[in-house]
Amino acid sequence: MALDDRVRTAFTRVLDPKDVLSDPVKCRAYECDGLTGYRVRPDLVLLPRDAEQVAAAVRVCHEFGVPFVARGAGTGLSGGALPVADGVVISLARLKKVLAVDPVNRRAVVQPGVTNLEITAAAAPHGLYYAPDPSSQQVCTIGGNVAENSGGAHCLKYGFTTNHVLSCEVVLPDGSVVTLGTDTAEQAGPDLRGVFLGSEGTLGITTSVTVRLLRTPESVRTLLADFPSVASAGDVVSDIVSAGIVPAAVEMMDTLAIEAAEEAVHAGYTVGVPAALVVELDGPVEECDAQFELVKAICEKHGCTRLHIAGSPEERAKIWKGRKAAFAAVGRISPDYFVQDGVVPRTRLAEVLDRIAGMGTDAGLRVANVFHAGDGNLHPLVLYSAAAGETERAERLSGEIAELCVEMGGSLSGEHGIGTDKACSMPKMFGEEDLATMHRVRHAFDPDGICNPGKVLPTPRLCGERPGKYKPHPLEETGAIERL
Amino acid sequence: MKTTTTLRPADLAEVRDAVRDTPGRLAVAGAGTAAGWAGDLDTVDAVLDLSALSGVITHNPGDMTVSAHAGTPLRALTDELAEHGQHVSLDAARIADGATLGGLVATGDSGPSSLVYGTMRDLVIGVTVVLADGTVARSGGHVIKNVAGYDLAKLLHGSHGTLGVLTEIVLRLHPVPQRAATLVVDAPLARAAELAARVLEGPYEPVALEWISHGSGQLLVRIEGTDEALPARVQRLQEVLDGGDEAADDPWLRHAELTRGSPEAAVLRIGARPSVLPALVADVAADAATVGLGTGVATVSLPPHAVAEAHGRVHAAGGTSQLRYRPPGADAPAWGPPPSALAVLRAVKTELDPDGRFGPGRFSPWM
Ligand SMILES: Cc1cc2nc3c(=O)[nH]c(=O)nc-3n(C[C@H](O)[C@H](O)[C@H](O)COP(=O)(O)OP(=O)(O)OC[C@H]3O[C@@H](n4cnc5c(N)ncnc54)[C@H](O)[C@@H]3O)c2cc1C
Ligand SMILES: Cc1cc2nc3c(=O)[nH]c(=O)nc-3n(C[C@H](O)[C@H](O)[C@H](O)COP(=O)(O)OP(=O)(O)OC[C@H]3O[C@@H](n4cnc5c(N)ncnc54)[C@H](O)[C@@H]3O)c2cc1C
Repeated sequence: MALDDRVRTAFTRVLDPKDVLSDPVKCRAYECDGLTGYRVRPDLVLLPRDAEQVAAAVRVCHEFGVPFVARGAGTGLSGGALPVADGVVISLARLKKVLAVDPVNRRAVVQPGVTNLEITAAAAPHGLYYAPDPSSQQVCTIGGNVAENSGGAHCLKYGFTTNHVLSCEVVLPDGSVVTLGTDTAEQAGPDLRGVFLGSEGTLGITTSVTVRLLRTPESVRTLLADFPSVASAGDVVSDIVSAGIVPAAVEMMDTLAIEAAEEAVHAGYTVGVPAALVVELDGPVEECDAQFELVKAICEKHGCTRLHIAGSPEERAKIWKGRKAAFAAVGRISPDYFVQDGVVPRTRLAEVLDRIAGMGTDAGLRVANVFHAGDGNLHPLVLYSAAAGETERAERLSGEIAELCVEMGGSLSGEHGIGTDKACSMPKMFGEEDLATMHRVRHAFDPDGICNPGKVLPTPRLCGERPGKYKPHPLEETGAIERL
Repeated sequence: MKTTTTLRPADLAEVRDAVRDTPGRLAVAGAGTAAGWAGDLDTVDAVLDLSALSGVITHNPGDMTVSAHAGTPLRALTDELAEHGQHVSLDAARIADGATLGGLVATGDSGPSSLVYGTMRDLVIGVTVVLADGTVARSGGHVIKNVAGYDLAKLLHGSHGTLGVLTEIVLRLHPVPQRAATLVVDAPLARAAELAARVLEGPYEPVALEWISHGSGQLLVRIEGTDEALPARVQRLQEVLDGGDEAADDPWLRHAELTRGSPEAAVLRIGARPSVLPALVADVAADAATVGLGTGVATVSLPPHAVAEAHGRVHAAGGTSQLRYRPPGADAPAWGPPPSALAVLRAVKTELDPDGRFGPGRFSPWM
């Protein structure tokens, strides 16, 4: 059933009529996010030009009981921005202004459609940067980052989006406008900003975000090390941590991932080694130098077969290029793949990777591993061929891997979110009372259930449906973004 | 006056039963170190004293996480964690007085090192909470990176015992630095603010940067690092500060003392943009103060009659304030003008505690 004309007319009263898209062809561009297996064509797509128009549009939704879904760049990997049937998509793409950069107080105020990297670009002239760095940072928006509590390789040391957002102006599902959070860590009362962050667009739409900026570190040291086994690379990670070092990043790749990445970008990785680590330290030059020596010694102690130290910013960029390319490059060695995003306690990495390898063998499928080793955030890539009829098996294996992470004391998702994709797995991680409590929180913000319904928390209707296979994001195919 | 029952549950099931089986209004109490913070508690039918709900549940040194019962005093974790060179990187003054994990989360407390490590909200990765109807809810987990579901810990942070009873708390840990140094510069607030700005503009990475109203004022700058690197960093820092001595005693004890305040004065906690904070502190006519020149968080002591006006000034400057202590019998409002999201706060309260059982009065007059 389509939205009736009264609703459309109401939207054209608060927005410029040409900012209300109803042409099915145009609306089709909004039918999925980065999880391309799920598609729903929205009835209407709204393109407000400022915060007032967002609020006005939401008020119309509220008045008519129309469900709405906020959308940033559409790079989400869990179907968070998947439209709702008979609902509207509210795109924040036109709210792209950096409203203020305040070097004295080290913060910036930006509209939600500003990309992650644009914040750093605006801050850079002051020697500042915005720390959370998802590998989609060239295109993903701060609004999407807020909704997903996005992370990146450097979140091991610096934390996630939630640790870097001071406040958000939010349009609540009834169209009222509030500010969650304050100018400092000090807040009067419960941390509603913290609840909103990572709520995947289900509690309201943010129209302005105040972020903290950090001083660009004085020194950065990066190395790439090869190891005779995944276990020895894992031991290096443990030893670095128990030496009291907090690296800026520690990333691991296995044979398959290295092979794929090297074929794609020739970044100087050693094809055929069982595991490679990228370790990066940053900070005051004296600290960095002292700790870097220690990291090298730890690598050597664990039988490192090759140690390559970036001697210049270019070499450093090259190491990262290999690491970041790994994800998409897997497409070169397999016609299709599913990507998983589970977290396990760091100390169980070797055990979990072993189990995953075994599960792959049992299923007759290959699994490539590229991941944030420092915080145990795995991205196992299940390789398969749809043409050979392996889809269902691969899908099952991918789901089992996520659930294995939970069983190991970890989480269903470290950074991609629950969205549509994993809502039905939530009962594996949370009990009935936990989920009921989350429902109550949601109800407090959105009593009518019109704000991104069906996402995050399981519903019977949703959990009857099946996901489709992973397809590369269109932007990934053009090389505009990479996956970490 | 009617007598109040005190309940001392010793595990999660007992907390749930106590909440379910005790009719009426309940106060949640940890160690009693922040008993007077926020609004005055109305009469309650029972006090849930969580001091028996204490102890470490699991410490995973390799994962740098620890879970503990909410009634555990934070300082009781110190020895266990120190054995592995780890700690909870929170240095709120009242930890030394025995403040509990639950109490620290519920009050949203933090200390000078929040400049780098944030407040309790940034360190808690999982919680278990008992709601007013006896529901037991968990969120988060035992891993640092986790985006599954709503983060209920954030909701309890700063809730002052009004939304639920925290029973278990999982924290992320940090390595204890090999070495730390604090430089002390005698300077009035305005001069200290200038120096602090210089430090923040450079690559010095201070862990804490505070001014205290000790004598005619002192700037305290703490850095942490390795045995090998720290001496050179101290030297560089002295150059930018035009001096500054490494403190012989522990100046942070003076800081903690000033943060606690004295029994005769009201204590107000203020947050504002660092650039406006020094003038604001001067404006509210504080008798004593600690001022976070990087964090924007200050704790000031002032006469109770000056509190209402101070709230107003802070809010006019775009900041936030809450009362931490009022002398017995003194009349000083706990809160300033309500936040714009008051309706959401009320809705959350109604969802989780529809009968207003927990911590009545704490957010008076807002709810
Ligand atoms: C190649 C690739 C690599 C990636 N790498 C990473 C990575 O390293 N780390 C990581 O964390 N993620 C990564 N992602 C996932 C994705 O980029 C992030 O989740 C990102 O934050 C989404 O931003 P977006 O603007 O694309 O949001 P969208 O996909 O448009 O939306 C995501 C969610 O946010 C909500 N939303 C959007 N805007 C708002 C708003 N203004 N207010 C409220 N809710 C809003 C939507 O409703 C939806 O639920 C990657 C994705 C791709 C395709
Ligand atoms: C044994 C005892 C008996 C008391 N009897 C009375 C009485 O009869 N009448 C009366 O009015 N007051 C009484 N109080 C004081 C009152 O309960 C406290 O003012 C209040 O609950 C604050 O707790 P706290 O002082 O222990 O501070 P903290 O432990 O520092 O707690 C500070 C704040 O955090 C909240 N909090 C602490 N732990 C948790 C947790 N685990 N989950 C959620 N919130 C938490 C508290 O409610 C408080 O708002 C009593 C306190 C104790 C310890």
